[in-house]
Amino acid sequence: MKIILPDRKTIEEEREPAVIKDILESLGINPASVIVAKNGNIVPDDVILENADELKIISFAHGG
Amino acid sequence: MNNPNLCSICGKPAAVRLNNPERRLCAEHFIKDAEERVFKAIDAAEMIREGDRVLVGLSGGKDSTALILILSEYVKTRPDVKLIAVTIDEGIAEYREDTIKAAERLVEHTGVEHGIISFTELFGDTLDRLVADRKNLACSICGVLRRRSLTEAARRFDADSIATGHNLDDEAQSVLMNMLRGDKPSLIQDSSLGYTGYFVPRIKPLAVLSEKEIVTYIMLKGFYTPLPECPYAVTALRMEARKIIGTLEERYPGTKLNIVRFRDGIRKHVPYSPKGTKGKLNTCKICGELTSGEICQVCRVLNRKQSDE
Repeated sequence: MKIILPDRKTIEEEREPAVIKDILESLGINPASVIVAKNGNIVPDDVILENADELKIISFAHGG
Repeated sequence: MNNPNLCSICGKPAAVRLNNPERRLCAEHFIKDAEERVFKAIDAAEMIREGDRVLVGLSGGKDSTALILILSEYVKTRPDVKLIAVTIDEGIAEYREDTIKAAERLVEHTGVEHGIISFTELFGDTLDRLVADRKNLACSICGVLRRRSLTEAARRFDADSIATGHNLDDEAQSVLMNMLRGDKPSLIQDSSLGYTGYFVPRIKPLAVLSEKEIVTYIMLKGFYTPLPECPYAVTALRMEARKIIGTLEERYPGTKLNIVRFRDGIRKHVPYSPKGTKGKLNTCKICGELTSGEICQVCRVLNRKQSDE
């Protein structure tokens, strides 16, 4: 599973399939403050991420 | 997730899950849903009257990007309405240049008339230089000068109203901040009404969309550009309010909307007059603009003396 964090750092590790929201919370990220893209497509955070998937986390918590 | 992640309308993969009513929407139907909610809010509150010239504050940031895109769609059904975009160049190095370029791309795409007004032109210097020895006050000084700049822009472009990109999060945060400060006049002040013969009405068409929905909207429309953060953006109380409301919204969906509706309910029962004036306005002894006291806020933050004018 590849996870691209808001600061563009990348985490690559073997993981059991998990709901994106749970992954975010395990990373200490409030799901309400980010938008997530699974394999390049924006998805709701209750979608499941498989080990082969890529998750991009986009933070928008500043500036109007 | 028990249900497949499919659009409730067309069955394509969903990009968004929304509450009240619970629904999943694909990119195309989310865009339509968001636009329709804004259109409905504009019409329900009669924000834009027949033949209005609407000045759109266009910083080039995420909120104003969504605002100009959605209003451009709205006026397709209201050819009597004219949009004019205006960008305020405060003079903030390594920040405003990028957002002005974004604003220029947007007006080129939408075909909306565009003007740029700078602090240097209106107040004689850039924000960077005006706050060089008082950076801790930069946000509040900038806010005062931006409001005056928009008023001046409305005058120049003969606008009937000023549309700004305030979203549901901004509005809910402001309610909480006003409560925490004990600032009742700000809580009940409704600038959307204007003040006949004095102030140009301010309208906030995006106040029905959350910040997350706005960013999702511009991403799905292909207009999302990560931009630098304003170097002065350090309003501590707003950050606290954002955190508190964000946590509550996560636990109790609908919290933001309920806070704003609660404020609107209070406003219906309280007569409006410009803040602190009890209905009486004066002209500033220095610059001649309207003010509730003797010297307006702009002249105060610029430390202008009567002999300066």
